[in-house]
Amino acid sequence: MPSRRRTLLKVIILGDSGVGKTSLMNQYVNKKFSNQYKATIGADFLTKEVQFEDRLFTLQIWDTAGQERFQSLGVAFYRGADCCVLVYDVNSMKSFENLNNWREEFLIQASPSDPENFPFVVLGNKVDIDGGNSRVVSEKKARAWCASKGNIPYFETSAKEGTNVEEAFQCIAKNALKSGEEEEIYLPDTIDVGASSQQRTGGCEC
Amino acid sequence: MIEIDLHDLSDDADYADSMQQGSASMTRSDSSNRSSSSEQVVAEIVYLKDNVAIHPTQHAWERIRGRLKLIKQGGSLLMTWIPYEGQSSSARLSEKDKSLYTIRAVPFSDIRSIRRHTPTLGWQYAIIVLSSGLAFPPLYFYNGGLKEFLATIKQHVFLVRSAEDANIFLVNDFQDPLQRTLSSLELPRAVSVANRPTSSVARSESSSSRTDGEALDKNSTYIQQNGRQRQKHNDPRNLSIQVLEKFSLVTRFARETKSQLLRESHGDGFISNAMRKHDKKPNSYSFAVESNDVHKPFEDIPVPAESLEYDKLSLVWGKPRQPPLGSKEWSTFLDSEGTVTDSEALRKRIFYGGVEKGLRKEVWRFLLGYHSYDSTFVGRKYLVSIRKSEYETIKNQWKSITKEQAKRFTKFRERKALIEKDVVRTDRSIPFYDGDDNSNVKCLRDILLTYSFYNFDLGYCQGMSDLLSPILYVMEDEPESFWCFVALMERLGPNFNRDQNGVHSQLFALSKLVELLDNPLHNYFQQKDCLNYFFCFRWVLIQFKREFDFEKTMRLWEVLWTHYLSEHLHLYVCVAILRRYRSKIIGEEMDFDTLLKFINELSGHINLDATLRDAEALCICAGENGEACIPPGTPPSLPFEITSMYNQQDDDDVL
Repeated sequence: MPSRRRTLLKVIILGDSGVGKTSLMNQYVNKKFSNQYKATIGADFLTKEVQFEDRLFTLQIWDTAGQERFQSLGVAFYRGADCCVLVYDVNSMKSFENLNNWREEFLIQASPSDPENFPFVVLGNKVDIDGGNSRVVSEKKARAWCASKGNIPYFETSAKEGTNVEEAFQCIAKNALKSGEEEEIYLPDTIDVGASSQQRTGGCEC
Repeated sequence: MIEIDLHDLSDDADYADSMQQGSASMTRSDSSNRSSSSEQVVAEIVYLKDNVAIHPTQHAWERIRGRLKLIKQGGSLLMTWIPYEGQSSSARLSEKDKSLYTIRAVPFSDIRSIRRHTPTLGWQYAIIVLSSGLAFPPLYFYNGGLKEFLATIKQHVFLVRSAEDANIFLVNDFQDPLQRTLSSLELPRAVSVANRPTSSVARSESSSSRTDGEALDKNSTYIQQNGRQRQKHNDPRNLSIQVLEKFSLVTRFARETKSQLLRESHGDGFISNAMRKHDKKPNSYSFAVESNDVHKPFEDIPVPAESLEYDKLSLVWGKPRQPPLGSKEWSTFLDSEGTVTDSEALRKRIFYGGVEKGLRKEVWRFLLGYHSYDSTFVGRKYLVSIRKSEYETIKNQWKSITKEQAKRFTKFRERKALIEKDVVRTDRSIPFYDGDDNSNVKCLRDILLTYSFYNFDLGYCQGMSDLLSPILYVMEDEPESFWCFVALMERLGPNFNRDQNGVHSQLFALSKLVELLDNPLHNYFQQKDCLNYFFCFRWVLIQFKREFDFEKTMRLWEVLWTHYLSEHLHLYVCVAILRRYRSKIIGEEMDFDTLLKFINELSGHINLDATLRDAEALCICAGENGEACIPPGTPPSLPFEITSMYNQQDDDDVL
């Protein structure tokens, strides 16, 4: 389908239920915020074209269900990811404490070739709420955790007001590109032809 | 009745007519049995048997007799069965019926197996099962000849006797060992549908109280013994109607399968164009056009030249939907005590039309199993009052947790937080849940939290609020909604198990159903590594709640809850939707990601009535074969302990 060669960068957003994963994705891609998003069931993704050094990339951003119970689906959705975004709610300690679980679960299920250097980005969302008065996770604490996990880039965001969202995703895309370039050899451009001819001959048999 | 039939047999009027009958494209042979003479090399008749009949209804005297032939053409063997022209054995069978059942040149490459049946009483018959898993109605050999039929086939095609059942002959040996295993597993069940006593016996059995001959699974239950065995038993008189309905779809399926194969081998569409030229008659069978969706049934149906009739043979896909059940009609289902006298008929009625808005409050309680059909007005009133106080008791368990207590009760706090996060994003666009400080939203929270105490092990899981929301909307009463939700969760609870096994078993069953009902699509998914069917996860988890608007969801649910044709109609709904978009999916070569996105974006664009009709047809079509695809205990089946309370009525005598 693509007439011009384009690279797909796959990004997975993870984090506890209700931290704002869907909102962040929609704010970045559609520049919209709604109070009425439904809890994500299963998974969905949005795409956005991004440009880097005269090259066009398609950023494919995957939004997944936040409840722990749905993690078994991860295998299907995480594979081939180029970057993983871990989101927590600065007003919820629990969602911050769970970042570690999400990170580990992702590494297990996506099993990237180089887990030590796989790019993560952490977002502390909902900084707008109550003018910051209901905040329970300090920026310092969050940054310390990110530093301990191999200097994960960290952003404080508000999906509602759009604060830092663009910046965060720029960074996400850049990191995805870095890891994506190493795997570029696996892009399916050349495999397609073989696959479709295989289908032809196989199809006639049955 | 057997006497009448035998007497009929001696009447040779049909037989004489049959002498003029024959396929124009075939070389006509003389009337002697198994003539193989032929002047042209076009086709050679290697077997011919007259007075081979089918029984299209449950009445054995209503039958269509015809001539069965095996024709060798080129390298392939074809089977035809052409009914005799002229008067039928019954005036009720029209010429249209006859042409409907006509088997025109089915190549043996399309046939999976032949089941031989030689009962001690009555006629021998054979059931031809197609590769698609569908079966033609039994062919009764009034004058014998079944053995020769099989022997002749054996001379020309590869025929293997099934290891599972000596009466089953596999026609195509499968190249794929897995396929072979699966097919051998499915075969006994495949044929068990038709594997009934001869129709005369069936009729005497059916003189019991039942009045409805159209039900497929009416008193069927799953009988599991240590998970080892599962059998279904149908009312025997349903058999023939079932086969009839099945057959009505066979032609269509055969055609579609064929068209699919041809499309793949002749990508240029040459055949389909060539065929359309032949078909100049205006098409009066508008019912065959199922939808205005992407899937256009007539556009690409290349049929072999000698079987243009196929187009005429397709029947309605499922019955037309009916208006919803209204209160006046509802009252006819209740006796003076308030007992539902014929729950089967009620469920059937709702299956085809749903329930009127205002009546849902009353009827859903039955459908969900909160009220039993044999309960009375008085009994129900009593139950409601008992349940109300029971609900309050459970609710108080969490209501009485103090703030101090909650501080040391992490699990409770987390559960509550999760529920509170979800209820405020459940159906808020519906006026009922709209606005700040909406009391119905609070009610959702209370019920879900109470449920998580009622069933502490399962707790709360995302998706539950989606399932509860329409129930509360309909019931408008907290305790009543709670107990209806409890009843629903009896069946759908496993969807939310920690290990997700409930959903996984349904997705597995779905993959098996697609394999059975749309093999090319199955192959496509296999090729694209999509057989986990995760793209249908949302459909299954919350019963299409996010796929239809609020009103349509309620309509769909009440139809599903009737469990009228199958407890697993929702899986056939999945197949129906996938089939509807199959040409788009395959044509655009969707991979897993694209497919997931496509499926997610179908939300709000699915035609419910058309889908239900397709699902019904697919369900009937798959029959026992379909149910065999669904592992025992797959939600929304009730757990074994409950279903096993029904007794098995008629042991399958053959298997």
